[in-house]
Amino acid sequence: MTVRLSRRYEFFASHRLHSASLTDEQNREVYGKCNNLHGHGHNYEVELTVRGEVDPVTGCVVELALLDRLAEEQILAPFRYRNLNEEAPVFRTVVPTTENLGVEIDRRLRAAWERTFAGGEPRLDKVRIRETDRNICEIAQIR
Amino acid sequence: MVISKKVEFSASHICRSPRLTDAENERVYGPAANPHGHGHNYVVEVGVEGDPDPVTGMILDLKRLKEILDERVLEVYDHRLLNREVSPFDRVVPTAENIAIDIWNRVAPYIGGRARLYSVRVHESGDLSVEYRGEP
Repeated sequence: MTVRLSRRYEFFASHRLHSASLTDEQNREVYGKCNNLHGHGHNYEVELTVRGEVDPVTGCVVELALLDRLAEEQILAPFRYRNLNEEAPVFRTVVPTTENLGVEIDRRLRAAWERTFAGGEPRLDKVRIRETDRNICEIAQIR
Repeated sequence: MVISKKVEFSASHICRSPRLTDAENERVYGPAANPHGHGHNYVVEVGVEGDPDPVTGMILDLKRLKEILDERVLEVYDHRLLNREVSPFDRVVPTAENIAIDIWNRVAPYIGGRARLYSVRVHESGDLSVEYRGEP
């Protein structure tokens, strides 16, 4: 029986939404106050969902210590208390919207997944990132 | 009787004091001392005290309170780097404590009639909040 388990993590970071491919005026139109020159910040919440079979011995679908270690290495250590544009290399060229942050987190987790979970089990089911109560982005890959 | 209203803004800040050395700043503020800044979704709860008006049943018109908070707090704080863009944080470290005091100072003069400002609570994250009641 397949079970899904979700676990939440939180980090505080700042960002500025500004695309080098747009003019200053277009940036203001597209991003509004998020384009503010000096940036602003959020309490980001990341919810990771894994899916797999419940281990008959432990009764768990995932070893939480391993998931926590992966989240620490791939999400919290690089982004916690950071200015995303200035301190996360990927966001020097990619605009750190919630969507792109979600895609980057998903990419990082998948790249390190097999090293953490032997045989790739459980699977990463989805990454959900909450920028504010009203802005939530979900990345679920059908595979 | 106290009525309270909640608003939210997103801002970034840097917790460093020019009166401390780099090493002291790192020790006191930990990762929040990162000179590039980081940010929060701040939730501000403003409490207003008074007796309800016998006719309207209200301490203060909540539409008016919302206007005051929009104009005096959100217009100033929302989507800003506090250290650079909000006075007095060019001189005062924008900790949650100092933010609560500053919001009190900005809002208090506009609360009148039968109402007076009772408290300003600033939630920096889900597990940290500070409250200021205007005491010297």
